[in-house]
Amino acid sequence: MKTSTRLQSGVAALALIAAGVATPALAQDVTLEYWVYSDFAQGDALALQQEFISEFIAEHPGVTINITGKGDDDLTAGQVAGAASGTLPDVFMNAAGVGAQLVSVGALSNLYDQWMAMPEEYRAQFDEDALNICMPNPGELYCLPYTGFGSLLFRNLTVLEKAGIDTTTPPATWDEWLDQMKTIKEAGFYGIPDQTLVFNSIAATYAMAGDESNWGIDWETRTTKIDPEVMTKVLQMFVDMVPVNSGTSRNDQATKDLFISNQLAYHAIGPWVDPTYRQAAENGLDYDYVLLPSVREGDHGGIKSYEIIGVAPGDNQEIAFEFAAFITEKQQMVRWAKLLSRYNANAAAMADPEVADLPLIARSVESVKYALQTHPPYFVDTVPNCYLSTIIDFASATADGEYTPEEGAKEMIDELNYCLEG
Amino acid sequence: MPARRHLPHYLMVAPFVILFAVFFLYPIGSGLFYSFHDWNAVKPATFVGFDNYARILSSRDFERAMWNLGTYIIITVPLGILVAFGLALLVDSFTGAWGAFFRGAYFLPVVLPAFLAATIWRWIYTPNFGLLNMILGWFGIESINFLNDTSTMLYSLIAVDIWISAGFNMVIILAGLKNIPSELYEAARLDGANKLQQVVYVTIPMLGPVLFFVITYGLISAMQVFDKPWLLTGSSFTSYGGRRNALLFPVMDMMGRAFGAVKFGEAAAYGFLLTIAIVFVTALMFLVRNLRAPR
Amino acid sequence: MSVAEIAPALPRRRKVRVWTVLRWMLAFFIALIAILPVWWMVNVVFSNPGEPVSINPRLYPTSFQDGIDKIYMIFTETDYLHAYLISLLYALFTIAGVLLFGSMAAFEFALFDFPARRILFAIIMLSLMVPAAVTIIPTYLLTAQLGWLNTMQGLVVPGLASAFGFFLLVQFMRSIPRDMIEAARLDGASHFQIYWHVVLPLSRNALITLAILTFMQTWGNYMWPLIVAPSPHMYTVGQVVGLFNSPYSHQTVDVVMTANLLAAVPPLIFFLIFQRRIVEGIAMSGTKG
Repeated sequence: MKTSTRLQSGVAALALIAAGVATPALAQDVTLEYWVYSDFAQGDALALQQEFISEFIAEHPGVTINITGKGDDDLTAGQVAGAASGTLPDVFMNAAGVGAQLVSVGALSNLYDQWMAMPEEYRAQFDEDALNICMPNPGELYCLPYTGFGSLLFRNLTVLEKAGIDTTTPPATWDEWLDQMKTIKEAGFYGIPDQTLVFNSIAATYAMAGDESNWGIDWETRTTKIDPEVMTKVLQMFVDMVPVNSGTSRNDQATKDLFISNQLAYHAIGPWVDPTYRQAAENGLDYDYVLLPSVREGDHGGIKSYEIIGVAPGDNQEIAFEFAAFITEKQQMVRWAKLLSRYNANAAAMADPEVADLPLIARSVESVKYALQTHPPYFVDTVPNCYLSTIIDFASATADGEYTPEEGAKEMIDELNYCLEG
Repeated sequence: MPARRHLPHYLMVAPFVILFAVFFLYPIGSGLFYSFHDWNAVKPATFVGFDNYARILSSRDFERAMWNLGTYIIITVPLGILVAFGLALLVDSFTGAWGAFFRGAYFLPVVLPAFLAATIWRWIYTPNFGLLNMILGWFGIESINFLNDTSTMLYSLIAVDIWISAGFNMVIILAGLKNIPSELYEAARLDGANKLQQVVYVTIPMLGPVLFFVITYGLISAMQVFDKPWLLTGSSFTSYGGRRNALLFPVMDMMGRAFGAVKFGEAAAYGFLLTIAIVFVTALMFLVRNLRAPR
Repeated sequence: MSVAEIAPALPRRRKVRVWTVLRWMLAFFIALIAILPVWWMVNVVFSNPGEPVSINPRLYPTSFQDGIDKIYMIFTETDYLHAYLISLLYALFTIAGVLLFGSMAAFEFALFDFPARRILFAIIMLSLMVPAAVTIIPTYLLTAQLGWLNTMQGLVVPGLASAFGFFLLVQFMRSIPRDMIEAARLDGASHFQIYWHVVLPLSRNALITLAILTFMQTWGNYMWPLIVAPSPHMYTVGQVVGLFNSPYSHQTVDVVMTANLLAAVPPLIFFLIFQRRIVEGIAMSGTKG
C-alpha cells in the first residue's frame, strides 16, 4: 500500500516535470510575486521556501520569484488594494475564510481547467475535504489548499497527576472531561480557559455536540444552519465550565502562562502554541496533546481551517499556476511538514512514513478527520461581522447567566438570521 | 489692483494648497462620489443613490458605534486634556536633569508601537491574575474582567487612551508654556498672585490658542479612534468590536466594511456620516471660541 | 521656589516644603505608571525563553544573553535595519515637507487676511474630519496612477499637506505680536523675508514640537505604507514588526515583544534630542530684539 502511494507520487512528480518541460520556452523573462503568511518568510521556513523557488526556477529558466511575507489582515488588505490598482501578486496565500471577498474583487482566477489537465496522480494527493472548500460550484476551483490545522487539546500532565487523574487515556466523552475538570478545580487548579470569549473556541466546543449538517450558513436562504437543540447543549457546556475556567481567553498570553506555570490543566487551541510549550518543557513543563472529546464516545470536537494558495488572473497566470501546483505537490509538502511539524492539505504527504511519525502531525491528521470547518461554506459570500459577534455575545451572556441555554440558543439563532438578512 | 496686492499671500500658500487639493480634496471628492455607489474598488461602480447611507443609518452596529463614541469622547477628551495640562505644569516646574527625566518618562508611552501598548495593557487587565486585579485584590476587591465585561470595557479603553496620548498633548502644551514670557509671571507675583492664581490668570489665557488646538485636535482625532480599541479587543477585519460590540467605534466598523466585506462605497458613506458629526462638534467649538474671543 | 527663599515667615516656608515634597512624589508616581509597563516589556526581552511573562510583572531582567540573542536574531533574520532606514527617510522627508509647506501656509492664515482665507481654512480643517478609511483607497489609486507604488515619493508626498501640522502652526503663530511684523515691514523686509527671518525663528518651539509629533505619527503610520509600499524592499519598521504580530504566529511572545520594542528606540532618541532644543521665552526675546 505504502509502496504504491510512493510510486504514484513518483509518477506524479515525473509528470509534473514533464509538464514543465513540455511548456514552450518562455519568450520573455517573468517575475512572479509570491505572497505568504509572515511565518513562511522567516528563519528556517523562509530558507525552505527559497529552496522550493530555486528548484522551480531551475526547471523554468527565465523565471524569477520574489517571496514576500505579510501578517494575516495585511495579506487581505494588500491583495484587495492590489486588485484595485492592477498590481496583484501572482501567487499568494490567504485564509479560506476570506476567499469570497477575494473572488468578488477578481483576485482569484478559476483554476478548474488547469487543475483537470493535471495528471490524476497529482490531483489524488490532496485531502478531499480541503479541496472541496476551494470548489463552491461545479466547474469552479479558486484555490489549492495549502497548509492548515486541526484543534488540539493540550494537557498539562503535572496538574492532572496532582489532581489524581489517570493520564494514560484522554477523556473519552464530554461528561468524563467535565468530571475531570471539576476534580482539577477542587485540587486548586483551573480546568480550562474561558471558551466563550473567542469565536474559534466556541466553534470547537460546538463541534463536540454538532456536526457538519448543523453548522455554518445556508447562503441560498441566508439562514444559519445552527440547530437550536445542539446549541442548547453547547451553551449548557459553557455554563458547566464556568466554575472550572480561568476567565482568560484561549488566545491570551495569561492562558499560556498559566499552563506553563502548572496552574491550568487543559488548553484547547491550534498547534501554533507548541513552540511556546516546547520551550517551557526545557524548564520542566510536562505536557502532551490529544483530541477534544465529544458528547458521543468515539467522536471528537474541534475545528479545522486551511490556508489556500491563489493564482491571480493576468499574463503570468499560467506559469503562476505551475508554481502553485509545484509548491503544493507532495515532495515539497513532505519537506515542509518535516521541517516544521505542521499539518497540510496534501494527504499523500501526510501519509509519508517520515511525516506520519511526527507526533504533532499524527495528532493533527487525526483531529481534522473529526473537526468542523470554521466558516463553511467558503467562496460563496462574506460572513458578516455581526454573525461572529452574535455567537460570541450569546455564548458569553448565557455563561454569565443572562439566559438559560434554551433561551440563549433560540435568541442567538433569531439574531443570526436577522444578521444574515441585512 | 487688489489681486496683485494679494499675490504674495497666494504664492506662499500655493504649495500647501496644491498638494492638499491633489492628495486630500480629490480623494475626498472621489470618496463622496463612491459613497453613492456600490463599489468594491475593482469592478465598475453602480449608482445606488442613498442606499449606502440608508443601510448604515438603519444598522444596529452604527447606532451602537455612535453611542459608544459619544460616551467615549465626553469622558476621554476633557480628562485627557486635563491630565496633559497637569503633566505639562508638573514637568515645567522641574528644571535641569530632573525636568528632562520626567519629560522623557511621560512621553515614553507615545513612542511605543500601538501593538506593544495594547499587549501590555491586555496583560495588566487580565482577569484573576493580571497586575491590576492583583492590586485590587490587596484591597479585597474581586477580580474584574476589564476587557470582557461590558460595563467596564469603555473605561478600560479610556485609561489606556490617556496613558498613551497624555504625553503627546503634554509636549504641545509644554511648547506653549515655554512661549509665555516669564515677565508676566513676575508681574503677577508682584501683584500677590499665588501659584494657582498665576495658572488661572496668566497661563491659561496665554495658552489660549494652544489649548484650543489641543482640544479641537483631540476631539477630532478621538472621534476617529481606531487602533487602540481594535488591538485591545483583538479585532480583525472579519470580527471586531469586542464583546457585545462594547468597544465598537465608527472607524472600526468602517474598516471592517471596507477591507473585511470589500464594500468601499458603503465604507465611504459611513465615513461621511461620521464626518458630518465631527463637523458639527468642531463647528460648535469654533463658535464658542469666536464668541469668547472675537479676533 | 524663589518666593520661598525670600519669604521670611516660617509657616509659609513649611507650606511650600510640603508642596515640594508632594510635587516630587506625584512626579515620581506618574513616572512609575508611565515607565513600569515598558520596563516590564524590556524584561520580557531579557528573559530566559519558556517562562511565564504576563501573570506577574517582571521587575528585573533574568538573562542578558537571551535578550541579545533575540535582538541579534531579529536583526539578522529580518530586514529590520533596512526598515529602520526606510522609516527614518520616510519620517525625515515628511517632517521637512510638513514643516516647510505647513509653516508657509500657516504664516499667511495666522497673520494676514486675504480673499478666500476663511473658506480655505474651513476646507483644510474639513480634511482633518474625514476619516482616512474614506480616502485611503482613492488616494492609493491616485498614487498608483502616478506610478509611485513602492517608492519613497509614494510614501511621503501624499502626506505632506498635513492639516494637523498646518492647524498647530496657525494656533502658535496667532500669538506672534502683529507690531513685530509691521516693524519689520517698515524696515523694508519683503513678505518672504518676514516669514523667513521674523516668523520662523519666533515659531521655533512650535516647529520643533511639530517635528517631534510628525516623527511619531509617521513612524507609527501602518495602513498607508502597508498598501502603498507592499514590496519587502520598501518595508517600514511598522511592517516588519507586523510580521511578528499575527495572532496565529508560531513565534514565542518574547521574540514578538523584542521586535516591537526595537521599533520604539529611534522615536525615543529623536524625542530626547529634539525636545532639548525647545527653549524658553522665544516670543519675549523677539520683542526685545
